[in-house]
Parts: sequence; structure tokens; C-alpha cells
Amino acid sequence: MTIFLTTGSIYLVFILNEEGPLRILFNLLTFAGIYGLAAIGLNVHFGLTGLLNFGHASFMGVGAYVTLLLIPHAAGREGEITDTGLTFFPALVIGIIAAALFGLLLGLPAIRLRGDYLAIVTIAAAEIFRLLVRDLESVTGGVYGIINFSESLQIYKPEFLINFSERFELNSSQMWVGLLSWISIFIVLILLRRLTNSPWGRALRAVREDEDAVRALGKNAIWLKLQSFMLGAGIAGLAGVFLAFNYGSLQTTTFVPLLTFYVWAIMILGGVGSLTGPIFGSIIFWVIISETDRLAQLIFENANGQQLAGVRFILVGLLIMLLMIFRPSGLLGKKEELLLDVKSS
Amino acid sequence: MLKVHNLRKRFGGVKAVDIDNITFEQNQLTSIIGPNGAGKTTFFDLISGFTEGDEGKVFLNEKNITNSQPFSIARQGMVRTFQLTKVFDRMTVIENMMFSGSNTKNDSLFRSLMKLSTQKNNENLIREKAFEIMKDLNIDHMADSYARELSGGQKKLLELGRSIINDPKILLLDEPLAGVNPKLAEEILSIIQKLSDQGITIIMVEHNIEAVMKISERVVVLAEGSVIADGNPEKVRKDPKVIEAYLGSGNE
Amino acid sequence: MIEQFGNGLLLGIIISVASVALSLLYGVTRIVNFAHGEIIALGAIMTLFFSNPIDSKILFLDRFAPLGINFSISIVIAILICGIFGGLLEIFLFRPLRKSEVGNIAVLVVTIGLSIFFRHLYLLFATGRVQNFPLELERRQTYLFFDMTPRNFQVLIAGLIVMIFIGLFLSYTKIGKAMRAVRDSNELANVSGINSDNIILFTWIASSMLAGLAGIFQAIINDVRYNMGFLILLLIFAGTVLGGIGTSFGAMVGGLLIGIFVQVSVALPFMEGHTEAKNAVALAIMILILLFRPQGIFGQKERIS
Repeated sequence: MTIFLTTGSIYLVFILNEEGPLRILFNLLTFAGIYGLAAIGLNVHFGLTGLLNFGHASFMGVGAYVTLLLIPHAAGREGEITDTGLTFFPALVIGIIAAALFGLLLGLPAIRLRGDYLAIVTIAAAEIFRLLVRDLESVTGGVYGIINFSESLQIYKPEFLINFSERFELNSSQMWVGLLSWISIFIVLILLRRLTNSPWGRALRAVREDEDAVRALGKNAIWLKLQSFMLGAGIAGLAGVFLAFNYGSLQTTTFVPLLTFYVWAIMILGGVGSLTGPIFGSIIFWVIISETDRLAQLIFENANGQQLAGVRFILVGLLIMLLMIFRPSGLLGKKEELLLDVKSS
Repeated sequence: MLKVHNLRKRFGGVKAVDIDNITFEQNQLTSIIGPNGAGKTTFFDLISGFTEGDEGKVFLNEKNITNSQPFSIARQGMVRTFQLTKVFDRMTVIENMMFSGSNTKNDSLFRSLMKLSTQKNNENLIREKAFEIMKDLNIDHMADSYARELSGGQKKLLELGRSIINDPKILLLDEPLAGVNPKLAEEILSIIQKLSDQGITIIMVEHNIEAVMKISERVVVLAEGSVIADGNPEKVRKDPKVIEAYLGSGNE
Repeated sequence: MIEQFGNGLLLGIIISVASVALSLLYGVTRIVNFAHGEIIALGAIMTLFFSNPIDSKILFLDRFAPLGINFSISIVIAILICGIFGGLLEIFLFRPLRKSEVGNIAVLVVTIGLSIFFRHLYLLFATGRVQNFPLELERRQTYLFFDMTPRNFQVLIAGLIVMIFIGLFLSYTKIGKAMRAVRDSNELANVSGINSDNIILFTWIASSMLAGLAGIFQAIINDVRYNMGFLILLLIFAGTVLGGIGTSFGAMVGGLLIGIFVQVSVALPFMEGHTEAKNAVALAIMILILLFRPQGIFGQKERIS
């Protein structure tokens, strides 16, 4: 059923777009890959461990900012130009570790809190992050953001990709980012599958079920939750880096709560707790979003850009609600493992 | 083996636990009884680290465990069960057991990622031990069922199995027979007896007076947070203070 | 700094009223309503729609002109609409969810979806532009130690009166006591003959009306935006946490304090040039409280972790 829906929605892209469907498709797939990766990280938090993290965007942001600040870049049009720096992959590794450490930093105090309080704290932390980013203009580039960094990644762009892109009139830089994010998804999923079926994964699922019992049986539930928090944060950091490279610039308005809500919608759609759910959820989600964007343009002729974007979010909100109410297991979630009827203890 | 001094706990204005001194010897089978609200579960919470006392000290094998973390106390050999069974609903019975049987080193993220063969061997050993215990408890046929599908009594058995797979020194059983049909209660009772014979110190909170009288070597009676009787079952049964405590509160 | 204190009181009264509304709802239903901000905004936007002059430049939903009704009447109608909105939410959404035993986590996520949905519906409806009520500009005057416009001062007084009224209501009326009973223990309340479904419905309506009022206050003091509720939602959480979850008095005090902290922090030396980050101060306070004194100032030790 899921495969059907996914291929169906991809097919839809072709039907609804007479001009350049391939370009739209690959653009969409790139976003799907990046957000899918982020959703996989969130799934480690919520699906595997039961942690209500509503500040996911800030983990993505930390990964992105740390990585970008380490490679050659410029902070805004009038900002400092940093000519030297690390090459991409070392900077990426550091960025991911930074995101994981941010997870540790946030988690140390927050992870003891009950579900709904953890949600509030993570939102608050993400908001503080957003405000900091906005305020530290000299570092983050103010209105223009951080720019002139793409080269660090694009120099590794393979020949075959450039040729392929030329043939089909695609943006090879974006294709490269997209390809890398899908490869990352593949690698991360292999590792996660190993982990979830392992004693570690079992321990985390037990924590999700009943922390008190876990403690009574001699295990440190808090440390287990922290590990999962850091792991999911690191994955999110990776996704954040790809997002920045996809845009070619890192705006202070990129890593905001709305981003977190997108990722949540994708995770729920794909199926909480399902390893591959986020992939399908992401693809279908992005098809829905991009196609209804065009639908909205037809219906609301007078609306400005901001309002059209609003339609997108109306859908996201509706999607989240309907899924939670009628099909909380999403596409691929296991009904027996339905997390969402757990009362917050 | 387990010593408690001056343990006091209040909730708001209500005195929940108020115990001067009590000691539990090794390999004893003690039951704690008392009318509802006497502080029995709070007592368990206090000694197992789930609640902080207002004052007092708890010693396990001469080591001060007052206000230690629950998981640390459990690792030192004192494992407790809960009044309302806490099995892991959305995990299978065998997963429940193996989770408990796996120690922190075996659970480690690194080892799980690297899929070390030592971990694989360990898991096999744990699985074997788990099945042994499940067979003794008669729940091995449910190994692959989700724990939520078990009957109330089977859940109690699972919780019991989970708590003994690591060879604990002391077992704190909170109402192991609550809500269980009489036949199963007999089984559980004989299992508890067997565990005691094997050398485990057992402290049991129970309302089922018959069962208590049948297998306990010692009975401690709590009322309004304090110990009002402490001795062998026969003596306690005839103690006028105990009778009054139960009649007075209209219980049992 | 005195000037900021006055601003802080104004911000505080908005957050106060909104916090009490949120706290009442949470106490009785145990739901953290992330869509609370949108009910706040509803009050303001409805008032805008009713009261703006008919020849106003901005059209609602790109085609409807505002109705040009008397301002005071508009306020009343808007608050009533908020109450009805809350009631409908309870009857058609949250009651069925409650009956089907969906967990709190799921309901929380539903409220988040709700908030995203409505907030952007407002965007379509009222445009993304900052708008204002059709009120005359006023000059600031001095009241005690603070300078503020007469209208804002009226809002402040009105807010305080509303709070006193709520306090009295909860303590002395039958419904108020019933609400507190359900808050303290749903089962006991049911057993003693209180229909908790009705109480919950009443709470939703009352909480929504209060939220709408808070939005109107916010619109008078500041302006009307489609995301005005979302902007102060975190501050409302902070106020509720600071004052103590589950106590209305705590929410009142906490809300006022947060408002004052936020504005006064602008005057602090390290905040120079970073006044936009003043909210971060309140959020940091909230996080610290949750860590070290989760029951807040007046709350009781509930299981927070």
C-alpha cells in the first residue's frame, strides 16, 4: 500500500507538471531526502525512546552552523570573509558531533522531565537558539545569512552527475546534495536497524514502555535516554548541513519551529517507530506540499507569497491532526507498537 | 542484611512512614501486612530509592543506600516489583526477560553497533537462562507474545521472572498475589517459597492473610506508618493490637 | 528601568490572563493546549473584523470588508465567539478523543496540529500584515510611577478586575468549586455527583473566552497579527510554570512576573543591542524553574519527572 502511494504520488508529479517534471521531481526528492533524514533522527527520539522533542530544528541548526563556520564562507554581504578553513568532511564530522553535544547539553537537565514538560522545554530551547542566531549577526550574517560556502562540497561533485544533470537540464549542485542525503539515509538506516534489534535498542524500547520498571531492574534510564537523544540530534545535525547546502545560503530564518513541525508531520505520516517510514512519509509529504502549492495558486489569485505559504501550513496542520486522530500508526507504523496511545506517565 | 533506622516520610500533613528501627536478616521470608494506607508501598518506595525520605537511613549489607538511585540499589542486589504490574506491554515476553537479563555492558551502544560476537554469545546465554526461568514459571509457551496479551496472573509471573533472572539477593514483592485467581495464587506462592529455599531474602507486601500465614517466617504489621507488631505468624495473628488495627479500619 | 516596569505590567497582564486560561484548562483536562495562542488571536482578529471601518483598506479573505460595528460591542461578540469556538472544540474534538482513550501525548500533538492549522487560516483570512483596532492614538500619562496611555491603563485595571473575579469565582461559586474538584481528582468528583463532562465543557468555554480577552488586550496594547498568539505562547508557558502549574493564583502571579522580567531585562547592561532576545530571558527562567523548582512558586509537588 505504501509503495503504491509513493509511486502514485511520484506519478502525480509527472501528470500535474507538463513543463520540466524531471526538474521538479528531483528538486522534490532532494528535499524529501533531507527531511527524511531529519525525520529518521526524530524517530530515534520519539519512535524508539518516547521522547517528545519539539525543538528538532535547533539540532539541525547547530549541525549546520558549526559545519559552515568551519569551512570557508562569508557572513553576509558585508560580513567577514573567512578564506580558509577545514575541508568539508572533517567539518561535517565536527558539526554532527556538535549537534550531538547540544543534545547532551539540552538533555542533561531536560530528559528527567515528564513528556509534556519536555516538549515545552525543547520548544523553549529551540526558541532561544533561534533568537541567538538572529542576534549574533556578525557571525550568522544577518539578513543575508552565511553564503559562499558551497564550493567546499561541490568540488567533490562526480563527473557522471554533472553529465547526467546537463542532459536533463537539472541543477547538478542540488543533485549532488540530494544524492548525498539519500546515501546518508541508506547508511544511517543500516546502522539503526542494527541498533534497534540489538540489546541497546531493546533497552531503549523498555525505557519507552516503563521507566520505573527499567530502574527497578538495575538500569540507568536517564543515561539511556541521553544516548538516544544525542544519536537523534547527531542525525538531525547531518540533515541540517545538507539543508544549508541545498539552499546555498544559511539564513537566520531557516531553523525555526515550522521546520520542526514539518519533520513531525513526516514522521507521523511515515509511521512512528518504523525505520523506513520517514522515507516514504517524506516523499509523499513533499509531493502533497508542492502540488497543493500550485493548487493554492489557482484558487487564491490575490493572495501574496506569504499567504500561499500559509496554505501549505494549513495542510500540514490538518495532516498532523487527521493522522493523529484516525491513523496514528501512519503508513508503516506497527499497530501493536502504537506509541501514541501511551498516556504520559 | 537490610537495616532501616529512623525512617520517616510525610505527605503534606499526613504521616506515611514512621519507623524507628527494623532489620531484615538474610534468607528470611518476611511479609508486611497492614490495613490500606498503612504505608507499606511507601516503605518499599523508600528503601528501593523511588522516594526520598524526610529523614532516616537505610543500609544494605552495611552499605548506606539512603537516597541512592533506584537502579544503583537494584544493581546491588535488591530488586522490587510493583503493585500494578509493570511489564513492557509492547515487547514480547522473551524480550522482557532478556532485557532484564542483559547487563549494562551488554546493552552498550558501541557493542550493539559493532555487533561484536561476544555480545552475540552473551545474548544466547541470556536467552537460555530466560527460557529456564520461563519454563519454571510456566510462561515459556507465551515467549513470543506481546506482554500486553498476557493475563493478569501471567503478567505477575513475568514480572517475577524478570526480577530473578539476575540472581538478586533481596526481593521486594509488592502484592504478588493481587488480582490473581486462587489456583494461580497457589502456584505463585509455591514459587516464592522455592525462591526463599534457594537462599533469596524475600520481603513481601500482601493483603492475602492466608497466604501470608502459610509461608512467612516472620510477619511485620504496619498501621499508620508505624510497626505495631513483628514476629512469627502465629504470635502476630493473636496480637490484640493487630486485630484492632484491622477491625478498626474495617478491613479484611 | 521604571519605564520598562510599566511596559512589563502591560505585557504581564496579557500573559496573566492567558496563563490563567491555560492553567484552568490544564488543571481540569490535563491537556497542554498548544493551540491556546490561536484562541487568543481569534479574539483579536474577530474584534478587528467586526470593528474596523467598512472602508478599511485591508480585506478579509481578500473579499470581505470589515463590519464597522461599535468597538465595545465588537469585543463582546468576539469573546462570545471564542467561547463558542472552545465549546465546539471540546464537543467535536476533545471529548471524542477523551472517550476513545487516546493518550495525552497524542492529544498534545493534535493541539499542535490544530495550532498550525488555525494560525495559517488566520493568515489567509486576515493577511500577514500588522493591523490595529480603530482606536484613536493617545498620549501617555503618568499613573503612580508609570507612564502609559489611558487606554492601556484601563486595560491593566480591567485585567486585574477580571483576575479578582476569577479568583472569587473559583473559591465561592458552586461551579468554581466543582472545577477545582475535577482538577484535584476526576474520579472523586464523578463519585460525588459532579458531571465532569459538563464541567470540562464549561472550562473550555471559560478558558477560551479568557484567552480571547487576553488577545484583545494584546491587540489594544500592541497590534493584531496572525501569529500573535504563537508569539506569546512560550511566554504564557513560562508564566504558568513560574507561578505553579495547576494553580490559577500561581498563573496570575507568574504571568505578571514574566511580563515584568521580560521588559525589565531590556534595561539590563548585557542586553544592550540585543533587545529582541528579551524573550529568551523569560524562556531561560522557565527552563531553570523546571529544573530546580518544577512546582513553581505556588504549585504543589506534582510528578514532573
